[in-house]
Amino acid sequence: MLQCIFLLSDSGEVMLEKQLTGQRVDRSICTWFWEHTVSQGDSPKLQSVIASPTHYLFQVLREGITFLACTQVEMPPLMGIEFLCRVADVLTDYLGSLNEDLIKDNFVIVYELLDEMIDNGFPLTTEPNILREMIAPPNIANKMLSVVTGNSSNVSDILPGATSSCIPWRTTNLKYANNEVYVDLVEEMDAIINRDGVLVKCEIYGEVQVNSHLSGVPDLTLSFANPAVLDDVRFHPCVRFRPWEAHEILSFVPPDGQFKLMSYRVRKLKSSPIYVKPQLTSDAGTCRVSVLVGIRNDPGKTIDSITVQFQLPSCVLSADLNSNYGTVNILANKTCSWTIGKIPKDKAPALSGTLLLETGLECLHVFPTFQVGFRIMGVALSGLKIDKLDLKNLPKPPYKGFRALTRAGEFEVRS
Amino acid sequence: MFNQFGATAETLSKASTLVFRIGTDAHLYDDPDDVSIAPLLDSRFDSEKCEALKRLLALIAQGFEVSSFFPQVVKNVASQSLEVKKLVYLYLLHYAQKRPNEALLSINYFQKDLGDPNPLVRAWALRTMAGIRLHVIAPLVLVAAGKCARDPSVYVRKCAANALPKLHDLRLEDNTVGIEEIIGILLNDSSPCVVGAAAAAFSSVCPNNLSLIGRNYKRLCEVLPDVEEWGKIVLIGILLRYVVARHGLVKESIMFSLHGTENSRSEKDCSDTNSALDDNGNSNDLYESELTNAVSHCYIEGPAEYLSRLSFMNKDSSEFNYASLTSGKNNDDVKILLQCTLPLLWSNNSAVVLAAAGVHWIMAPVEDLKRIVKPLLFVLRYSNASKYVVLCNIQVLAKAITSLFSPYFEDFFICASDSYQIKALKLDILAYIGYIRDPDRRFATDTVARIGICAQRLPEMSNPCLEFLLALTRQQLTTGEFGSVDAEADILIQAIMSIKSIIQQDPPSHEKVPAARAMVVWMVGEYNSLGDLIPRMLATVLKYLAGCFASEEVETKLQICNTAVKVLLGAKGNDLLTIKMVLIYVLELAKCDLNYDVRDRAHFLKKLLSTYLDSQCLEEETNHPGQHKDSSRLLAENLFGKQNKSVSHEPIDHRFYLPGSLSQIVLHAAPGYEPLPKPCSLRCDDPEMDENGDPYVTDDEDSASESLDEEIASSYSSQHSNVDSSGTDGSEEAGSASEDDDNSHQLIQFSDERKNGASQSASDFGELLSNRALESWLDDQPGFSKPNTSEHSQVRTSSARISIGDIGGQVRPKSYPLLDPVNGNGLRVDYSFSSEISSISPLFICIEVSFKNCSKETMSDITLVDEESGKGKDSVEQSSFSDESSTIPQSNEPNLVSVEEITSLDPGQTMTRSIQVRFHHHLLPLKLAIYCNGKRHPIKLRPDIGYFVKALPMDVEVFTNKESQLRGMFECVRRCTFTDHIKELDKDKGDNSLVEDKFLVICRSLALKMLSNANLHLVSVDLPVAAKLDDATGLCLRFSSKILSTSAPCLITITVEGRCSEPLEMSVKVNCEETVFGLNLLNRIVNFSVEPSHPHV
Repeated sequence: MLQCIFLLSDSGEVMLEKQLTGQRVDRSICTWFWEHTVSQGDSPKLQSVIASPTHYLFQVLREGITFLACTQVEMPPLMGIEFLCRVADVLTDYLGSLNEDLIKDNFVIVYELLDEMIDNGFPLTTEPNILREMIAPPNIANKMLSVVTGNSSNVSDILPGATSSCIPWRTTNLKYANNEVYVDLVEEMDAIINRDGVLVKCEIYGEVQVNSHLSGVPDLTLSFANPAVLDDVRFHPCVRFRPWEAHEILSFVPPDGQFKLMSYRVRKLKSSPIYVKPQLTSDAGTCRVSVLVGIRNDPGKTIDSITVQFQLPSCVLSADLNSNYGTVNILANKTCSWTIGKIPKDKAPALSGTLLLETGLECLHVFPTFQVGFRIMGVALSGLKIDKLDLKNLPKPPYKGFRALTRAGEFEVRS
Repeated sequence: MFNQFGATAETLSKASTLVFRIGTDAHLYDDPDDVSIAPLLDSRFDSEKCEALKRLLALIAQGFEVSSFFPQVVKNVASQSLEVKKLVYLYLLHYAQKRPNEALLSINYFQKDLGDPNPLVRAWALRTMAGIRLHVIAPLVLVAAGKCARDPSVYVRKCAANALPKLHDLRLEDNTVGIEEIIGILLNDSSPCVVGAAAAAFSSVCPNNLSLIGRNYKRLCEVLPDVEEWGKIVLIGILLRYVVARHGLVKESIMFSLHGTENSRSEKDCSDTNSALDDNGNSNDLYESELTNAVSHCYIEGPAEYLSRLSFMNKDSSEFNYASLTSGKNNDDVKILLQCTLPLLWSNNSAVVLAAAGVHWIMAPVEDLKRIVKPLLFVLRYSNASKYVVLCNIQVLAKAITSLFSPYFEDFFICASDSYQIKALKLDILAYIGYIRDPDRRFATDTVARIGICAQRLPEMSNPCLEFLLALTRQQLTTGEFGSVDAEADILIQAIMSIKSIIQQDPPSHEKVPAARAMVVWMVGEYNSLGDLIPRMLATVLKYLAGCFASEEVETKLQICNTAVKVLLGAKGNDLLTIKMVLIYVLELAKCDLNYDVRDRAHFLKKLLSTYLDSQCLEEETNHPGQHKDSSRLLAENLFGKQNKSVSHEPIDHRFYLPGSLSQIVLHAAPGYEPLPKPCSLRCDDPEMDENGDPYVTDDEDSASESLDEEIASSYSSQHSNVDSSGTDGSEEAGSASEDDDNSHQLIQFSDERKNGASQSASDFGELLSNRALESWLDDQPGFSKPNTSEHSQVRTSSARISIGDIGGQVRPKSYPLLDPVNGNGLRVDYSFSSEISSISPLFICIEVSFKNCSKETMSDITLVDEESGKGKDSVEQSSFSDESSTIPQSNEPNLVSVEEITSLDPGQTMTRSIQVRFHHHLLPLKLAIYCNGKRHPIKLRPDIGYFVKALPMDVEVFTNKESQLRGMFECVRRCTFTDHIKELDKDKGDNSLVEDKFLVICRSLALKMLSNANLHLVSVDLPVAAKLDDATGLCLRFSSKILSTSAPCLITITVEGRCSEPLEMSVKVNCEETVFGLNLLNRIVNFSVEPSHPHV
C-alpha cells in the first residue's frame, strides 16, 4: 500500500507531504526523484512507475504539479496511479484549477482531503460528492465569512448520508425548484495520416456527459438509436451492468451535477472532416515547407477552431513561415502554431515558407508531425445517436437537453 | 480621477491575487512561524487553536520538525470542535511514533470518542487511535476495532476494516487471532463498501488464509460489482488466488493449453533440434508456447524459483500435476468468478479493468480471451496516466498470444505526443503482433520499413528501433524459415536497409554502439549472397571496414574478421581478389591488436585458411570447387557457412509476474510479491472449509508479509512468538498434568521438591499440580485449604457454588529456557515465574532460575548480571508504561536483585537461585548476562504478564462489588474456544464416571490452565444446576488478582457455553482500572486458553 504522498511544484519544491503508514518516507526521495526527472531530459512525460533505490514511485503530472506516491511493497501500480489521478481531480474540482499557489494557499484543505481520501495507504473516501459534504470547498462566501467572523471551519460535523447508501455517488435529499438534465455527446477524433496522405487510423473517442439537477432519487434510462456502432465502452459506477448486457440500455441513478456517464470508442472510421497536406522539400541547407488545409468531408456544420501545430526539428536554425489565412506563431520551444479558425469559402488556407538548416546539413532528415485541432459543434462524427431519455421517480417531468460536439483528439499528419 | 491609485497592470494583478487569497490559509503557509504558536495552542478559543494547528501543519508540509509542540497539541484532542479535532489528529498521526509517551495521554479521549453518538467522531477516533501505532495500546485498538466492526454506521465499519492492517503492522502475535476474527466478520458484512475494505485488510493481514474466503466465496463474487472500485481491485486478486488454490488451473485456459503443446512436442524436442527448426512455420509456435509455458510457471512459482529450477532441471520434468487442473466449463466457482468479473471490464477505473483482465487471462478459456482485448486497449486511450502500465502488461500478453492483439495493431501506432517509454513499448508490441506473426508478409515488410522511418523521424527513438531491428533479424534467423520464401528475404533486406539508414542518419552517435555495429557487420557476412543489392556492395563495405578496423571496438573487430572470411568463401568472380586482399590486410592488422581475443582469432583464421590464402591458383580453385576443396576449406565452410544453424535461441526473458502487479512493471519481485498459490493447495476436504464455528484459522499468514518494520517491531514479533510458543508448552503441560493426575507419584515428588526450594529440570511435564492438592480440591477437604481463602458452598437459584481450596500455591508454573547448553558451553539455564511476592518493591517479580551443568567438567563462578542497569532506560517505549504506572524513580534502581554467585557446579548437578527482576515493561524482555568460567553469555529474560499480578484473596461479595465499580471502559471481553477438557473426558469414559464429573473435569482443567499460567486467586466456581446433563452453559469461574506495581485490582471472570463433550465457547472478561494492562492480560489469557493441550507419551 502507499506509504507517502508528496506534492511537488513545477520547480521540484516539495509543497506537501502526507505520511500514510508507520514506515515514514523521508522527503529526500523527492530530491532523488527530481534529479532523476531532470536527468531524463526535458521531456515532461516521465514513466509513471519508477523504481528508485529505496522506494517504488508512482507519479502523475497535472498542470505542472507532480503527485508523487511511494511504496516499498507489491501493490497494483494502477491503483496508486488511479488514486493520484483521483486526488488531482478532486483538488482541481475544489480549487477551480491546479497550480502551486492554489495548493499552498489551501494547504489545510488539501491535508484534510488527503486524510479523508486515504487511510493507511488504502483509499478511503474518493467519491467527490461525499467529500464535498465532509469538507466544504473554498468558495467566496466561505472566505468572506471567515474574514468577517474569523470562524473558518470547513469540516462538516455530520457524516454525509451517502456514506451508508448503496448509491454513494448521490447526495441524499436533493431538492431543486427546476428539474433539468442535459446530455452531451463530446467526441474526439483520433487520426493518423501518413506521409502519402493515407488515413492509416481514424477513430472516435467519445464521452456521454450528463449534467443533472434533479430532486430526490431519480432513475434514468438512456438508450441509443444505434448502439451497434460502439466498439467499446466504459461506465460511471452508477450505470447498471445488467440492462446494458441485455439490451444495451443505460440505466442509472445519476450523481448530482456534471459527470461523465460513459465513454466509448468507435473504430475504423473511413474519413476525416478535413485534410492537411504538408510538403517538405529540402536542398542545399534550406527546406521549403508548404501546408495545405481544406475540407475533405463536409460534416454539415461549420468546422471552427482549426489549428495546425508542429515542432520544428532541432537542426532548424531559423524559420520564415507565412500563411495566406490565419496567423502563424513560432513559440520559444520551436513549436510552430498556425491558427486558422474557420475555413474561408473563397480560398484554401496555405502555409508556406523556408527553414534554414544548421550549417553542414544538406537536407532535413527529421520530419515533423503535424498536430491538427478543430471543433465541430452540433455533430457527433461517430454517428452515434441518442434515442431517448426516460426518467422515473420524479414528481414532474424535467427539462431535457441534448447536445453534440466533435473535436480533434490525437489528430496527426506525418510528413 | 483614479490617478491617485496609479494602478498599473502589475499591481492590479497583484491586488487581484491578494483579493483571491483573502480568506485562504495563504498567509499561514507563507509565514507559518511569524507569531508564537505555543500560546495560541493554549488559547481558550477554537479559532486560535485552529490557527496554531494550521501553522504547525504548514511547517510539517514544508518539512520542518515541530514535534516539540506535541504535549500542547495532544491536550487539544479534547476539543469539541471537529475542525480542531481533525487538525490535532493530522498532527498526532504525523508525530505519534516519535513521542509515544505523550501520545498515550490522548488514549482516554479516543476511548471516550469511541462512544460518541456521532459516527464521524467514532470513525476518526478509531482511525487515529490505530494510526498512532503504539504497541502498548494495541490491545485497546483491537477491542475498539472489534466494537466498531459491529457499529451501525457503514463508515465506521469501513474504518474498522482499515484499522486492522495498522494493528497487524505492529506484529503483535497475540493479536493475529483477534484481527482475523474481525476480518471474518467484516467480510460477511452486508454493505459492499465494508466488504471492499475488509478485502484490503485481508490481503495485507492474512493473504494466505484462503479458507476465510471459502466460506463466503459465492457471496463475495455476487457482491463484487457493488464493491467500491478500490476494494474491487484487491478482492478480484483474492478471489483469483482462492480459485487457483481450491480448484487449480483451468484446462481450457492458456495456462494449460500450452502445456498440452509442450507435451506433444517434447518428443520432437528430443530429436534433432535442427530438424525441428527447419520444420517450416512451426518454429514460431514453439517459441510462443515455450514462452507462455514460462509465463504460467512464473505465475505459480514466482520467477526466481522457476528460473533456478530451470537451470538444473529439464523443463519437461516440471509439468504440473494434471490432477491439479479443473475444467472451467464444469466448475461453478470458476464460472462465477469469470462471470462476475466480466462487467468489470467496463469499469472506468483502469486498475479494475486490468485486474479483471488478469483473472480472465489466467482462468478463462482461450477462445474467450479476446473479450479482454478491447477493454485493455480502451484504457490506453481513456487514461493517459495508466498507459505505461497497461502497455507493459499488454506486451506480455501479446508476446504469449500474438494473434490476440494483431487485429488491433492500429492502437499501437506511435503518436508524436507519446513519451519515450510508451513509444518503445508500442514498438515492441507492434513488432510482435505485426511483424513476425502477420500472415501478410507484405504488411510485415511495411512494418519494418515503418520502424525504420519512425526511427528517422524521431531521433530519440532511433536507438530502441535499432536494437529492436537487430533483435528481429537475429530472431528471424533462428526460426530457420528464412530464405525459403522470397518475401522473407525482402523483410530482412528491409530490416537491414532500415538499420543502415538509421545509422547513416546519425553516424557519430551510433558509433558508440559497438554491438549494433558488430551486428551489422555480422549481417553483411551472413547474408552476403542475399538479394542482388548486398553482393554488389560487399567489396566496398569490406574495404570500408578494413579501413576503420583499428578504431573499432573488440566486438566489432572480431565480427569483421569473421565476415571477411565468410564473404571470401561465398565470393565469386572479380571481387574475390579484392576480398582476399582485404582479408589478408585485416588479419595482419588483427595480429597486432592489443586484445588477446582478436589476436587469437586472427591466428586461428590465418591457420585455417592458410592453404586457401597462400594458394596461387585461387581462381582455379573456385572455378572447380568440387575437385579442389581441401579439408581446411571444408572446415572453414562448415564453421562459417552453417553458422546460422547453430545460433541459439534468443534468450527469452523468463521473468513474468502476475498481470497488473508492480513486479511486472519493474521486472523484479517487489517485496511482498507472491505468485499464485499452488494449484489445489486448498483441499476441499479441508476441515476448515466446512467448519463454521471456529473462525480462528492461523495459517502461516505472516510468511507473505515482508518485514519492513523497524527493528523494534521485528524484535517485538520474535519475542512474542517465543512467548507464544512457550505458552503452548505451558498449556501442554497443564493438560498433560491433569491427565496424569490420578496416579503419578512423580508429581508429588516434584512438588515437594519445589517446596523445599530445590531445583527442577525444565523438561518434565507433570509438574504442575500435586496430586493430593488436586484431590483435596475436588473432594472439598477444608483441611488442605488455607484459611484465608476458604469458601463455603452456597446454592443459588440456578447455580451451585463450589468451595475450593487455594491451589495457586501448589501449581507449578512452566519453566522457560534462558540459556541453551549449546550456546552456553554446556551450561543450561531455565527460569520459571514464581508466585512469591518480592519483599523489596512491588515492581520486582520473583523468578526461579535453575542452573544445570550439562558438560563433563565442573563449572565455576556462575553469576547472573544486569549489565544495562547503569545505562538507565534504553528506549522511550520501554519506560513509557512504567512511567505511567508508577511514581518510583527507576533510573538509579537496579533491575536485578540478589543473585548469589554459584562458585562451582559439578557435571550433572543442578542448582537453583531465586532472583528478583524488575521488568520495565510487560512486553519487552530484559537483557541480562550470565558469566560462567569467566565467559559472558548474553540472555534475554522475557516477561509473562500473567505474573505481573499477584493473587488477591477476596470473597465473592467483594468480587462482585469491585466488579460493579469497574464497568464500562475498564471492562473488556473476548471469546475463545476451550478444548482441554475433551481429552480428559475421553479418558474418563473408561472409568464410567458420573455425569457430575464432567463438570468437575471442566472446572478442573479450566482452573488448572489459569492458575498454571498466571498468578491468580480462584475466587469461586459456579456450576449450573438443573441444566441438561451434558450442557455446561452457565459454568462460571472467577479469579482475582492485583497488579504488582500499582496494586490495582484485576478481576477475571470466565463463563462457559456449550456441551461438555464438545469444544466450549468461553468468554473471558477482565475488569481492571488500567485498561491497557487489562487488555494485555486478557489477550494472554485467551492465548493460553485456546492452545490445545497435546497428549504426552
